Parts: sequence; structure tokens; C-alpha cells
Amino acid sequence: MRRLLWILAFTFSQTLSAQVVDADLLKIKQRMDSIKQFSADLTLNVDISFINMPTKKAKMSYTKGKPVKFSSSDFVMIPKRGLDFSLAGIFEYPFITIDRGEEKRNGKTYKAINVIPTDKKADFSIATLLLDTQNRRIAESEINTKKDGSYILEMVYENAKKILPSKVAVSFEIDRIKIPLNFMGKDTDIDRKQMRAAGTKTGKIYLQMNNYTISMN
Amino acid sequence: MKALIRAEIFKLFRQGKTYYALGALFMIEAVVMISAYFEGNNIIEILLDNLRKSFYFEGTLVNGSLLVYLLLNTLWFHLPLILMIVVSGTLTSEYKDRTLQTVMLQPVVKWKYILSKYIVAILFTLVVVFFLALSSFALSYGIFGKGDLIVYLNTLNFFESSEAIYRLRWSFASGALSMVFFSVSSLTIAVIFKEATKTWIIVAFFLVLSNILLKIDFGSNWYNHFFYAKMNDTWQYFFYNTIPWNLVLHNSLLLSIYTLVTMGLGLYIFHKKDIG
Repeated sequence: MRRLLWILAFTFSQTLSAQVVDADLLKIKQRMDSIKQFSADLTLNVDISFINMPTKKAKMSYTKGKPVKFSSSDFVMIPKRGLDFSLAGIFEYPFITIDRGEEKRNGKTYKAINVIPTDKKADFSIATLLLDTQNRRIAESEINTKKDGSYILEMVYENAKKILPSKVAVSFEIDRIKIPLNFMGKDTDIDRKQMRAAGTKTGKIYLQMNNYTISMN
Repeated sequence: MKALIRAEIFKLFRQGKTYYALGALFMIEAVVMISAYFEGNNIIEILLDNLRKSFYFEGTLVNGSLLVYLLLNTLWFHLPLILMIVVSGTLTSEYKDRTLQTVMLQPVVKWKYILSKYIVAILFTLVVVFFLALSSFALSYGIFGKGDLIVYLNTLNFFESSEAIYRLRWSFASGALSMVFFSVSSLTIAVIFKEATKTWIIVAFFLVLSNILLKIDFGSNWYNHFFYAKMNDTWQYFFYNTIPWNLVLHNSLLLSIYTLVTMGLGLYIFHKKDIG
């Protein structure tokens, strides 16, 4: 009996260690790591119920190991999440992955995995990634952060070969702005019911990347 | 009639309080600019505080467009008050100095005399608004440069620089109509009350009351669409995401009618009343 228990325990531990980090994710990470730097022209469209903003243009540049930089001649709002194409934020601290089977998006089947950081310093509690294993890239990710709510990133690629997305839709939670009454501008309509119901809203920002210049290792 | 208008213009620019008022107006402009220079970033911080959690900001919103918008907001109270004091003063000072009686001893038609005052009041108002707009644009863009405009009108509206200039220009033009209404009203109040202090108290009260009535919503469609006070914020409609042109036209037309009616009332009262 004792021998049987030892065999079971040994088998179980082997299974666990095999599931620690998904091999497909590692392949994708390896591919992303091969990007030394890139730059692109960025077009941003904001879809938040209480913000009206025209289409904005900016330039983005990334150098491995450094945060993404932006520059624009006018005022732009850049989402804090969604432009980390290198997935550096997810891979910053040790993590384990759990296979969640397959999920379909727009008629395509992707491998779904959960990424759970094992270090308390990580700024997210869990991330769900949809992996395009065939083309070695991420198709969608949902990141539940500890402080900033959850984010969903949906990536669209120009063709099967592309390593970086041409379009990204970032969905996020956002608090409705609370402005002191009559602060700037016309008399503000005060709808108490609306104010109480306001709370957290879901916003979306659509990013389009053009004229990529990528340098690989 | 032309001679009367010329005489009124001459008198307007001869009286010291016209220059005090214009000086006060440009002092306000300077104060707004200085405070925006030091406090501008704090204002924007408050507006964008909730968004900072989800976004990085690139570029600045403390720019010429925001400054012109802040100066435009003197149309709520500061500018109409100054205009009303100056314009009403053109008649109350004549009552006080008894020059009105001297003029009336000349072969001058009463209604033509007061009409010339109304015409000069309207011209003066338009010139002051024009110079306020001109100096606002020149100083704001000259010192702070061009950039996007951010306005909060129940939603946070962003306008690109060229769009902001277009809307700010229209807003000054629309605001000029509102200023003309207040100037004409102050002259009619001066016709009724004659005495300077009383007139100034009444014009200040009228302005405050108009601003309060503008903010009150009785839930009545008639009140919201036809009451004079509700027409006086039309210049703010240019900062909605989509300009409600029909509403702007409706309000402008109605405000012009109210201005003419107020002027007509002043003409009638002045014509009927004894000078004394």
C-alpha cells in the first residue's frame, strides 16, 4: 500500500511539473524576444461613453528591455495596457500556466491558457491568453491586474507571417469622471440618479499600427 | 441721426469710466493668463484624474486654446457687468449732469436721441467683444501656443487645434449677441431708473438673476426654449461634440427679438417720460 502511495505521489508531481509553463507560450515568448526594436505609426480611436475625442496619431518606438515610448505633435491618451507587445509585463516575474483547452474566435480555434504569477510582486493576479500556436503569436489576452481592473486585448494581424499586430482593441474598466460642479464651461446638468449609477464603465480604445520598422536579433 | 450717433460716440470715449472699464477687462484677461500659467496643470489634473489610471498622456492641454476658452468664460459675468455699467452710465451721467435737459432744449427728436444711444451701445459692445476676442487669441496663442482644447460639458470633449479655433471664433460671435442683449437691457434700465447708483444695483441684480434663471430647470419646455435667460448660454453650444446649429439659430433669432423688444420698450418709455 505504501509503495502504491509513493508511485501515485511521484506520478502526480511529474504531471504538475510538466504543466508549470506551457511549451507553446515559451515558443511565442522566444519569438517575441527576438525583436530587438521596432517603431510604428499609431492611430488611436477612443470609445468611452463620456469622452469625445477625435482620431489621434502618434509614433511609438520600442527597444528591448525598455518601456515603449510615444511621441505626438498633439495631445494623445495612450492606454497603459495593450501596447506591451513583447509581453514583458507578463513574463517579468516567475509564473505557472494552466491549460484551459481550446477557444474559438471568428471561426478560428486558439489554445487557451491561464498565466498565474508565483511572485507577489507581479502586478496582475491572472491572465488568460489565447495562443495562435500555428503562427506563434498571441490572439487575445485578458489580464486581471491587482490595481487597475481587468483588460482585454484583441489583436488582429495583417497576415500569417506577421509577428506584431496591425490592429489592437483594448477593453478596460474606467471610473466615470467626477468634476466639481460648474467647473469650467456651461452649467452642468446634475442627474443624481445618473451620478449614483455612474460607477465604473467599460471603455475601448482601438489602435492601428502602420509602417512598422522591426529589427530582429 | 448720424450727427447724434457721432456725438454719442464722442461722449462715450470722453468719459473716464469707459477707460476704467476697459482697463478692468484687460486686467481680468491678464489675471486669467497668469493664473492659468501657474494653475493650468492643476485644472487639467483634476479633469483627467480618473483617466490617469488607464492612460498615459502625451502632450499638454495647457495651451492657447484652453486659455482663449477660459477668457471666453468672462462672458458669463465679468464682461456683461462691465458693459452694463459703462452703457447705462452713458445715460445716467446725462441725467446727473443735467446735460440731457440741455440737449433736449436743442431741436433734437427724443426717440432719435435715445435710439442713437442704443446704436452706440450696440456698436461699443461689438467692438469690446471683438477686441477681447482679438487680444485673447493673440496673447493666448502667442504665449501658450496652439494645441487641443478640452471642455467638460457633461462629457469630456476634445477638439483639435484648428477645430478649437473655429469653435472659439463662433462662440465669441454668438456671445456678442448675448452681450448686446445685456447692454441694451442696461440702457433700458437706465431709462427707467435714471439715477446711477440705483441703475447699477438693478443691472447687477438683473445679471445675477439672469444667470440663476439660466441654471434653473423647471422642466417646462416653453421655459427652456423661449425664456430670455435660457438664450444667454448659446455661445457654449459650440463646445458640444456636434454643434446644434438649429438650436443656435433659434436662440440667436429669439435673443435678437428680445433685444429689439427691450430697446423698443426703452424708446417708448423715454419718449413718454418727462425729462427731469
